[in-house]
Amino acid sequence: MTGTDVAAETPLLLIVPATLLDARSTTERVMALCQRLSEADRALYETAVMEWLTNVVKHSCEHLHGASFFVRVDPSPDSIRLIVEDCGHGMPPGQFDAAPAEVYFDPEHIGELPESGFGIAILKTVMDHVRYEQDHGVNRLTAVKRWAS
Amino acid sequence: MVLEDHAEGDFLVVSLKDKRLDAVIASNFREAMVERIDRGQQKIVLDLSGVLFLDSSGLGAVVAVLKHVGARGCLHLCGVTPAVMAVLKLTRMDRVFKTYPTREAALAA
Repeated sequence: MTGTDVAAETPLLLIVPATLLDARSTTERVMALCQRLSEADRALYETAVMEWLTNVVKHSCEHLHGASFFVRVDPSPDSIRLIVEDCGHGMPPGQFDAAPAEVYFDPEHIGELPESGFGIAILKTVMDHVRYEQDHGVNRLTAVKRWAS
Repeated sequence: MVLEDHAEGDFLVVSLKDKRLDAVIASNFREAMVERIDRGQQKIVLDLSGVLFLDSSGLGAVVAVLKHVGARGCLHLCGVTPAVMAVLKLTRMDRVFKTYPTREAALAA
């Protein structure tokens, strides 16, 4: 099992060790609450969730041995809300909001294709609402996805 | 991570047996594929028919493999599942990769 269940019933509350394997298994647990998403939306939503958890592990909690982060998932009649909080380095102020929702490249120039930088673009494109904030040492992402696009 | 190789003429068909090509295995996947290219395998078919999840780390690894092959050879993708194709389309990488429904179609291209 990944993390520590604070409550078995919805909403899902998890304290997750900051490792990539735990990011993966937490993403799978979040997806268990997403049965109401269409098949097409499910695939991209799962990717978007994994993108942010990976970001937390690889960047915000980088070099923080034994770090963990907090995940809360709130399904509602019309949407699902994901909240991820960590106390790591966080992103530099303004960087999240400035990140583009699309990564531009020329498909004809193979040698110049980007190998990274898609994560936040995917998150911003897939979610219906996303907000990143930092408050008293806590980095918090709130992402809302409506059941029906 | 499990990769299975199968030689087909000039091509090396590589099947990724993991269901998820994500941040957990992306680095190992990239290294293993680059190693094959550096051994002289310039024409590769990557069989993704068993892969049900792709994130940007996995995508970045596949892009790195494509760039490593460069103009010396080719990288064809086959068996791309709907979930993986959705990510390729979202990122516009579907315009970059040559995808084929089956291994046979990729080899015949």
